[in-house]
Amino acid sequence: MIGLVTVSAWQPLSDKLVDLILTTKNDEKMPGGLARSILHLWQQDSLASKPGLAVLLEAAIKLEPERTMNILSELQLRALESKIKEISP
Amino acid sequence: MKFGIEFVPREAYWKIMYYVIQAEKGGFSNLWITDHFNNRNVYATLAAASIYTNRMTLGPGVTNPYMVNPVFTAQAVATLEEMAPGRVVLGIGAGDKTTLDTVGVEMRAPLVAIQESIEIIRGMLNGETVSYQGEVFRTAGAKFLFKTGKIPVYVGAQGPKMLALAGRIGDGVLINACHPRDVEYAVSCVKEGVKQAGRKLGEVDVAVYTAFSVHQDLKKANKAALPPVSFIVAGCPPQLLERHGISVEKAREIKEALKANDWGRAFSEVTPEMIDAFSVCGTPEMCTERIAELLKSGITQFVVGSPIGHNVREAIDIVSYEIMPHFKK
Repeated sequence: MIGLVTVSAWQPLSDKLVDLILTTKNDEKMPGGLARSILHLWQQDSLASKPGLAVLLEAAIKLEPERTMNILSELQLRALESKIKEISP
Repeated sequence: MKFGIEFVPREAYWKIMYYVIQAEKGGFSNLWITDHFNNRNVYATLAAASIYTNRMTLGPGVTNPYMVNPVFTAQAVATLEEMAPGRVVLGIGAGDKTTLDTVGVEMRAPLVAIQESIEIIRGMLNGETVSYQGEVFRTAGAKFLFKTGKIPVYVGAQGPKMLALAGRIGDGVLINACHPRDVEYAVSCVKEGVKQAGRKLGEVDVAVYTAFSVHQDLKKANKAALPPVSFIVAGCPPQLLERHGISVEKAREIKEALKANDWGRAFSEVTPEMIDAFSVCGTPEMCTERIAELLKSGITQFVVGSPIGHNVREAIDIVSYEIMPHFKK
């Protein structure tokens, strides 16, 4: 899915998703394995890479689905937004 | 001068670890995790931090010997030392009376308790069989069944006697103050203790442990500082309030509001003078200036403490890349 995001949008998307994850009140919705993946990729400075964005997006959708969609809309990532809507239950 | 950072583990561990990794990347050399029974456990948090960091020195800032027996504190830091060899320190102080009251634990003879607990902890860490008959603590042949390394002990202190004790026996001192006048006085008390023990001040890492809040927008920085400052003012001895020209009556009103869980009223009573006296707060330029002033007192470590800022992630970057460079000479 991250292939739908242009490379120039990787950094701003990563920043916004990290902020969302750090400010959420829904901490309990974060799966342990996903948290460890995010921290591991953060240690490697890879949160603005394809694997980094994939785990951030997965976490953001689990923790704050509505706010995540707002971020995608704000960054005009229409293709990604549509894809998520398509596969969301 | 070193920069340390304090985190209160009131949020999920993965949020704290994100900030810990960020702080290490940003050049902080010391990590302090607070020890309060109502937050996440300090040693579980430090164990995770030891795995997610490679360079930072880390330790509880601070634990107390009333809630955790010194033998268990020694065991916890010794285990941590195995996970992060050469990077562990122990911060220990008398604790907060209100918190101890909550769990029905008496704060008995704080000066004696700290001195005794440090003696027991050091004995255990040295691999000795510790039989100790103190006024507050006793052991009868306590000994680890594993080897451990040397761990520097920092004494958390605010009053003159505890500060002098830190100077006499501490490898470091964590001074609980923010205003240059208070820090200068505190360092003079530490110096007195150092002199009494025939030591040199250079043998003690003099760390100032601050309530810190930085933001490009002063209003946002101030707003974030309101909760810690209101609690500090509420628990402040009258002499200290008077030294800063703060009305004792006003402090009492804040205390009552906090007791009633009326946060809005408590925070609205906090004045700019209170923020100035009991926090390092402002724009990056203002904070840099205040740290430079504190440095003149002879401190060797500046600890960026809670709340850190309106947005913690942004604030850590501001300290790392806008403030710290001024002191890296």
